[in-house]
Amino acid sequence: MTAVTTAPRSPEGLGAVTGEPDLWCTYAAVRTLAWLDRTDDLAEPDLTAAYLAGRRNADGGYAWSRGMLSDAWATFYCTQALRDMGRPVTGLEATAGWLRRTWSGDAYAMLPGQGPDVWATHFSVRTAVELCGTPLHDGGRLVRWLAALQGPDGGLGWTPEDARRGNADVRACYYGVMAWRAAVRAGAAATPPWNVPALVAWLRDRQGAEGGFRFSPAAEVPCMWATYRAVGALEALGHAPRDAEACRAWTMRLRGPSGAFVRWEGYDVEDVWASFCAVGTLRALGAPLAPVADAVAARIAAFGCPQGGFTYREPRAAADALSTSAAVLKAVPGQADPGLVRWLEGCQLPNEGGVMYMPGRGSEVRCTLWALAAGAFTGDASARARIVRWLASLQNPDGGFGYWEGRGSDMVSTAAALEIVTLLGATVGEVVDAGAATAFLDSCRRPDENGLAHGNVPGATATLRAGLQAHRALRLLGRDTSGATASLLARHRVRGGGFANEGNRVPDLLSSYEAVLAADRAGLPVDTGHTAAFLARVGTPEGGTAWSPLAPGSGGPLADCLGTLLARRLDEPKAALPALALS
Amino acid sequence: MSTTPVPAIDDLRTRVRAVLAARLGDAFEAVPSDADLQQALGERYDSLTAMECISAVEEEFGIEVDFVADDVRHWFSTVDLMASFTHDRLEDSAALMEGR
Repeated sequence: MTAVTTAPRSPEGLGAVTGEPDLWCTYAAVRTLAWLDRTDDLAEPDLTAAYLAGRRNADGGYAWSRGMLSDAWATFYCTQALRDMGRPVTGLEATAGWLRRTWSGDAYAMLPGQGPDVWATHFSVRTAVELCGTPLHDGGRLVRWLAALQGPDGGLGWTPEDARRGNADVRACYYGVMAWRAAVRAGAAATPPWNVPALVAWLRDRQGAEGGFRFSPAAEVPCMWATYRAVGALEALGHAPRDAEACRAWTMRLRGPSGAFVRWEGYDVEDVWASFCAVGTLRALGAPLAPVADAVAARIAAFGCPQGGFTYREPRAAADALSTSAAVLKAVPGQADPGLVRWLEGCQLPNEGGVMYMPGRGSEVRCTLWALAAGAFTGDASARARIVRWLASLQNPDGGFGYWEGRGSDMVSTAAALEIVTLLGATVGEVVDAGAATAFLDSCRRPDENGLAHGNVPGATATLRAGLQAHRALRLLGRDTSGATASLLARHRVRGGGFANEGNRVPDLLSSYEAVLAADRAGLPVDTGHTAAFLARVGTPEGGTAWSPLAPGSGGPLADCLGTLLARRLDEPKAALPALALS
Repeated sequence: MSTTPVPAIDDLRTRVRAVLAARLGDAFEAVPSDADLQQALGERYDSLTAMECISAVEEEFGIEVDFVADDVRHWFSTVDLMASFTHDRLEDSAALMEGR
């Protein structure tokens, strides 16, 4: 166990707030209220149900927000939360059809064409069995894949390849066990496919003397998230923690002034995940929920957004790392409020060394890149070294990076990870396995006569942004990609201005930003008049920027930031664009 | 060389409504032709749906929309504006054909 290097409190300073609901938080809030039998307490049930149902795409899956691709996580959260609210979940046949597209032959991936991981497999087995009521594609192969998650020390890893490297985590244990349990309901063999005594012992060994659990032997502090996942996995296997009473008492101690829960000892915000995990822990322990139900329900009610859905704490105080980074980057250089950067630096919390969208919920590659681009940790060598160590541990066996620990690799995260290494002044080859990273990037190439096209994951449709991100990343790995970049830009250039992610008709802000960034990196000329025409079209009367010519008004702080940076780059050719990406 | 006459604006409005009804469903039936579709339909007329509607209008009338030069947020915000945009575009095409 390594020493705690940061104060485990919520960030101080000045975080930027959007007041928007979040799917992750909405699921946690609804699920917790359902466990407490308090879904009748939902303040805006119709709006929240509309928020959840509105994430549904035409392909039958659900997305984190309208316009994004369907993924396994969002699909489970939306359908499960609607079910918990007692609302109809429509079109489940189409949802089951979408799930089939994510089946790899052994397990489920987060997106069609991506490699499978246990996060996605858990969500999709449960969606298929518990929500859609469909049979498993191949229960035998699924169970064999789940069996291969067990590493030499008894714990489960994120993938079989990861397990062979000895990377076990209580979250992977929980997801593997719950996926198996759902598979049993669909007819799979009822005998757990692991060395159960070894798995139970590994899980029990994560409990500390204080009563809480850690994610892994390397984790810094026990936390509510790890505790719920460990206790939940043990319960599903028919076991209990080595000291169940100490676990219950530790959980009950971690309450704030309102009586709701905090994430770990010393943390000072009673957020939605802490209560979700604490109530889940108490349920798994068989402890009574009545003593905490009123306080938790009242606290969660305070997280509801007027437009429906929930965020992680009171909407007026629910700052996030992307909006805060955007506020810094959008400001005139040197004139951003230093409190914004201080808040971002406070997002580096125990157990994982990066920055997450909302503090206290792990670390995420893209958010860490935005925070670094905004100047966070500039003078903090210790914090920067911690990010490097975290990032190095995140590289998947296929050479790529996913959004966060255990997630399957994708192009956006892999390119962002390499940009982080560069921003931190480290040598790419010393932090990541450069050969493996190159192999992942090449695995995303799509059949194309010129070898230009890449998808976001190995089996995805080719897009401009994935191609340009691949070219940027390959350049950081030492390959000259400028010719390919020039050809790809020509293919997706929209006649009137800007660039389109698919084809060459409808330009959008993310693609146009990525195009200018890629051209600059490749040393290619930028047609400033062409980009200015696009910016004029997506500019709003209030000075904001829309995501596309079709979007109704400003896209919010992230779009406004990208629009400002792009305009600044057109005015000042030396104003290098930061390598910001979202998708 | 003869050209196809440009349909009257009322005819265009009727055809635009039929095109949109096929994509927007029952909720669209009660929306007046001068009503802002985003306000009337909320998330049902977001940018993805608007894109589908524009493509459908292009296909129905054989016109092409330029997403940068044409102010699509304005011209595709109501049925009346769509009909007017289509009318102008068909008139331009007819004039071009006559000039050949």
